[in-house]
Amino acid sequence: MAAETISRGFGLGRPSGRASFGVIWSVFKARVKIITRYKGAILLESLIPIIFAGLPILLGTAVAGGEQNAATNFFTYTHTQTTTGQPLTAADFRLYMLMGSNTFMVVSLMLWLIGYWVRREQETGTLEALYLAPAKRFYVLAGVTSYTLVRSLMAFLVATVLGSLLFNVNPLNGPFGAALLYLLLGIPALWGISFFFGAIVMRIKEANSVIQLLQWVLASAMGVYFPVTVFPALLQWTAMVFPPTLMTDAIRSTLLPIHSIYGEWYVVLGLMLTAAWLVPFLGYRFFGLIERRVRRDQGVGQF
Amino acid sequence: MNVPMPEPIIKVEGLTKTFLSRERKKGAGRKKKEVQALKAVNLEVLDGEVFGLLGPNGAGKTTLIKILTTLLLPTGGTAWVNGYNITKGENEVRASIGCMLMGDRGLYWKLTGRENLDYFGALYHVPKADRAKRIEYLIDLLKLGDFVDRTVETYSSGQRMIVAFAKSLVNDAPIMFLDEPTVTMDVPTARELRRIVKALNDEGKTILYTTHLMHEAEELCDRVAIIDHGEIIALGTPQELKDSLSHEDVVSLEGIFPEATVSRLRAVPGILDVAVTAGDGGRTKLDVMVENSRAMLPRIIEAVTGNGATVEEIRPKEVTLEDVFVARTGRTLAVDTRVVGEKAVRGRGG
Repeated sequence: MAAETISRGFGLGRPSGRASFGVIWSVFKARVKIITRYKGAILLESLIPIIFAGLPILLGTAVAGGEQNAATNFFTYTHTQTTTGQPLTAADFRLYMLMGSNTFMVVSLMLWLIGYWVRREQETGTLEALYLAPAKRFYVLAGVTSYTLVRSLMAFLVATVLGSLLFNVNPLNGPFGAALLYLLLGIPALWGISFFFGAIVMRIKEANSVIQLLQWVLASAMGVYFPVTVFPALLQWTAMVFPPTLMTDAIRSTLLPIHSIYGEWYVVLGLMLTAAWLVPFLGYRFFGLIERRVRRDQGVGQF
Repeated sequence: MNVPMPEPIIKVEGLTKTFLSRERKKGAGRKKKEVQALKAVNLEVLDGEVFGLLGPNGAGKTTLIKILTTLLLPTGGTAWVNGYNITKGENEVRASIGCMLMGDRGLYWKLTGRENLDYFGALYHVPKADRAKRIEYLIDLLKLGDFVDRTVETYSSGQRMIVAFAKSLVNDAPIMFLDEPTVTMDVPTARELRRIVKALNDEGKTILYTTHLMHEAEELCDRVAIIDHGEIIALGTPQELKDSLSHEDVVSLEGIFPEATVSRLRAVPGILDVAVTAGDGGRTKLDVMVENSRAMLPRIIEAVTGNGATVEEIRPKEVTLEDVFVARTGRTLAVDTRVVGEKAVRGRGG
């Protein structure tokens, strides 16, 4: 055999850390270039959570006959406990909804962008081209997830600023930095779930119908409009082990004077740290498993 | 002085691939069916050669290439590319090869040609400084300068093909897999690409080239393997393969032939095989393989005209690789003739 004696060409041998970082950076850069060539995409998606938050606020107001009534009814019937002993205000109600829908948008973007990415790459043939390259899948996925992170955070910040102006709330009254930290701490778990989702899309070669269905399941499970404590026991516990529920609750209980449904802050932090390594680990393993299965069957390029 | 024999840079041992495909027949529900795409294929590609893989659609050539390029896992057997095992050294195999497998697919349409090359260069771990030089070299070599800084969505299909070809060269790999690289190119561009492939081979690259265009294979390939129904049915230099039919002649007929013509011809003693190619307006081309065309010509004409056929042209033909395929399988390589050809084979019990 000619064997390893033939080593012409680039990329033979173990790639350096710099080369691996180069893969992440190139994938990230390419995704950013592509999205910025679709005019207005990022700004338009930032408007979605504002509309999402507006709906329950308006509905609550209409049903209760006033915004403060809506807030009082909502926090009373959801058994939301305050940390100050003071009654929660209409502004708290608005911020509760805004943060719920903003977090939902981050979760939604992080998950669906990976699903759509896999599907689109499959359809255009670029997924097969990626699998022909020696770059490790981990670094390619890291590049894509970095892009989804930046895009989601940008949309979160834009939506928070616009939503705060529109709903006349000030998230800076609470420890916004700490809330943002919880958001960032929740991201690795979202990456993990997105690997599960990307793997399913790769296997079933369909993204739209799965996303349409899961969009609503996800919104309910993570408690966008209510704390999941309103669910029956079994459903409540199922929803509570879902990392986005934890993230939403952590952000709300940090910004608003309310208790977390998970307990004290260190419990929340501990759970988030656990989810931050466990879920990506399981998600990546699952992705690898499905990827191998796909390569045993028709190949990743089959669409 | 003894010239050392080149060593195999690709070695395939007993490679088997079985797919499970689902059949959907009306009223019968969904049935799973096993399709054996490769049947214990053995093959060696020597270092520095252009190796042609010929066969009709569905013969197994894409499956073989996908396994060798690590896109698919084999069901049985194994292979080595550049000395690396395709299942145990996947990343080393990938680093050893440049591929153009999907025609003009596999490019990002919202990126420019240059951005695509840079992106894939990074994925092949080509250092940044080398990447810039390599891209400039490729732009110059393939004359991409006029359009390389426009987004791919604005390219013609020929331009996309040439950028896809440039992509396969970005890592300057010792082995190249080119799957029908000229398929949507105009004639001058295809000719230029073949010239470049030859030049790359002269520089020392090993090239595995699949095509259904016989003239391409004859022009480019040092050796050729013909694959059909997942098996290598012929292997050698183009000349060796043609010489294997040297005792046979081919008579080519064009015209309008009733359905029974092929079976009538096959019933004539001395006629070895008949391949059918459907043309426009009900016209058909028949390639009749005989042992001696001069002696057989009157009998061929009698068999054809006695059946009410209209013969527009009749001429003897030089043996080509296509004829080798016909002799081994009873079918032509052309995609749109497979059904006609298969029907003819059945008639002959082949």
